[in-house]
Amino acid sequence: MIIKTVTVVGANGTMGANVSAIFASFGSATVYMVSRDKEKSKMAAVRAGKSVKADSITNHLIAADYTMLADCVKASDLVFESAAENLELKIELHTKIGQSLKKGAVACTGSSGLSITRLAECYPEEVRCQFFGVHMFNPPYQLTLCELTASPYSDTAMYGELKEYLTNTLFRTVAESKDLPAFLGNRIGFYVMNEALQYADRYQDNGGVDYIDSLLGPFTGRTMPPITTADFVGLDVHKAIVDNIYENTNDYVHEKFVLPKYVQKLIDQRKLGRKTGEGLYKLIKNESGDKRMMVYDIKLGIYRDIINYTFPFALQMKQFLRDGDYDDAIRVLINNNSQEADICLRFLLRYIVYALYTAEHVGYDLRVADDVMATGFTWCPPFAMMEAFSRVCDLGALMKERLRPEIATAVDIDHIIGEQIKSKYDYRIYFKAK
Amino acid sequence: MERKVYILGGAQTDFERNWTKEGKNMIALLKEAVEDGFKDAGFTYDELVSLNNENRVAAFVGNFIAEQYISQGHLGAFLTEVNPAFYGVPSARYEAACASSSVALDAAITKIEAGEYDVCIVVGWEIMKSVDSKKGGDILGRAAYYEKEGKGVDLPFPKLFGRLADATIEKYGLDQERYLNALAKISCINYANAKRNPLAQTRKWFMSYEEASHRGTESNPNVGGLLGVSDCSQVTDGAAIVILCSEKYLKEKGLQEKAYVKGYGHRTAPLLFDKKIADNANSEYVLPWTRQACLDAYKRAGLTVDDIDVFETHDCFSSSEFAAISAFGICEPGKECEAIEKGLIAFDGDKPINPSGGLIGCGHPVGASGARMFVDLYKQVTGKAGKYQVKGAKNGLMLNIGGSATTNYVFIIGRE
Repeated sequence: MIIKTVTVVGANGTMGANVSAIFASFGSATVYMVSRDKEKSKMAAVRAGKSVKADSITNHLIAADYTMLADCVKASDLVFESAAENLELKIELHTKIGQSLKKGAVACTGSSGLSITRLAECYPEEVRCQFFGVHMFNPPYQLTLCELTASPYSDTAMYGELKEYLTNTLFRTVAESKDLPAFLGNRIGFYVMNEALQYADRYQDNGGVDYIDSLLGPFTGRTMPPITTADFVGLDVHKAIVDNIYENTNDYVHEKFVLPKYVQKLIDQRKLGRKTGEGLYKLIKNESGDKRMMVYDIKLGIYRDIINYTFPFALQMKQFLRDGDYDDAIRVLINNNSQEADICLRFLLRYIVYALYTAEHVGYDLRVADDVMATGFTWCPPFAMMEAFSRVCDLGALMKERLRPEIATAVDIDHIIGEQIKSKYDYRIYFKAK
Repeated sequence: MERKVYILGGAQTDFERNWTKEGKNMIALLKEAVEDGFKDAGFTYDELVSLNNENRVAAFVGNFIAEQYISQGHLGAFLTEVNPAFYGVPSARYEAACASSSVALDAAITKIEAGEYDVCIVVGWEIMKSVDSKKGGDILGRAAYYEKEGKGVDLPFPKLFGRLADATIEKYGLDQERYLNALAKISCINYANAKRNPLAQTRKWFMSYEEASHRGTESNPNVGGLLGVSDCSQVTDGAAIVILCSEKYLKEKGLQEKAYVKGYGHRTAPLLFDKKIADNANSEYVLPWTRQACLDAYKRAGLTVDDIDVFETHDCFSSSEFAAISAFGICEPGKECEAIEKGLIAFDGDKPINPSGGLIGCGHPVGASGARMFVDLYKQVTGKAGKYQVKGAKNGLMLNIGGSATTNYVFIIGRE
């Protein structure tokens, strides 16, 4: 597939600018960056250069606005829509794109979970087969995951060529996903994040938000704790994703996608997380530049200083991890009988089970569960985590013993972890001593 | 070489990792390297203990300057913290700046050649991300004559290798633009090669000829004379391990013929950069002692450049890779631009250099780099290099330098 010219629609957004940079850098393409305001497109082009640490690509970024959309699309081998996650807006845009799309050119949406089939139907019949879902993660220069989704109308040969282009030219980690709400990565990741938010509610007397984050920190196989991640992503975005999944899917963790009331309350107050300065956390800087991290106390309904929890199980795990004793760290997690170790362990076990369950139902290959979690979230991917556990215990037996019976009834544990797949990811990288 | 020294196996850590950010210490780094290396070599801690009972095994640790980076010395003793199987195993630390693990390899090879030990474990490592880039640059200045060339200088090494660029242009009367474009090609080849290497630091990074050839921009600022950021290798954390053995051990274990060390060269040039350049007046080569180390290795191996299928070189800066091309004998001195332009050193060229990505693409944890190159050559000549395998490679040559091409180490390894 030869892609020389690309149009990115909604190019002034963070994702639009970053995706433009990926096409212009790795793809060596000329990119029309279309947004409502040409000046904003120009500013986005500068940000795009920074996002891949190469100012030279800005020579290939052309600022444009919507009055130029039809001409840009006509000239393009690939059109990438990166507008706000709003179905009506996207329908309007894709209908317009469809009127000018070249025969043989690719059209795609960067939607994180809307129906690809519905959007494909915006296109005239003769080019409908040229439309695909291409969901990248932010920031794409650091996170290489790209979820590729076909509609029932999609041209199979073009799908294969696009996959090849994304993999070998743009250096994306392509995860093929069925056209189901939130696709793969977000379905798994936001399940864990929303369940963490629910647990914070349930354990609000223990501290809530920072209590749960403290026991699911980097020492549990991730860079950032899950509630901090939700705060970073934005609570409005978090809500849109879990609501979409809750309304349009119905699997055994259905209720885990219900947004807790305290989160809705924060959203109503426009406390959306890091991007608005406050959300579940709030960073205060005083005049001398000192920073003070505060957290939303669910019980009290106010921000208070973060509690530096010192759970013995976590301290022990971190000490072992610091010296590279991964097996010993996992043994502590399994054998420590505190409430905190129990919550933590069960979170990890449920994550493995749901990741594999989702890969089986939403993906085409179980291995995809590893790709999405490693390259979209930088969490220890499920098969790598299974390897870490299996070195020190019988994981199937542990799951049956520690997971609640309802999971064992809903999911056939032996079947789900039965496939002996060697992960291509190294679990040691993900379990940090922090 | 009289007694053959075989390569049982080896490994490197993922050079993308920042061990300080992961909260892990040098013991964790060493444990992972040793575990992976032993696994690759089919070697075990039980085997180590039983060999050690007969005093047939030793360990050699290469590290430049952990004293500065993590306030730790006596580094040879730290393998005992990796596993009790190392208790009693003779081990010591070897140092020659960025060529530290090559000295360790040399010592290990010599001990096996002399019949002193049957298995030698060589680990090179460096943790560098423990300090910021300004402090790190100053620490690295100790690989030069610190008092005269490093102290109080911002980023002394880019400046020294920028001067190598100047000296090269002057010696051969090169067109500056053509030379700099050739350096940009060197960077691009290394970055592109790193994309095939799953353990390379820059495997996700973007670099293009357009970016590399436009220096002095915000994203590619000049850092040392004519050189830009794109001409520099990367500071990173990492370890590499090599397990060597004697023919006797190979036979005892009933193992098939492995790759072996065919030759080496080791020469030390004048330390001060000015003296180094003054010293080349009577040579066709800009780095005559680097060239001599290559000649010594060829001679010991009974091979010529025609026999070498793959090279790993010390591209701490693109200007040092440039000088290495003629030192290897790939072209006449002064004709490096043509060699690069003709694609000779590209991955699919006749004389591929740095299929791993080299120091620019794979990363440069200084004390690990020599051992890392050695592991990469071993992978190449045994067909284990995966996506960056040079087809049919039989012999490989590596050049590892310390300081401003002061210590020069060359190894040739290959199979029958």
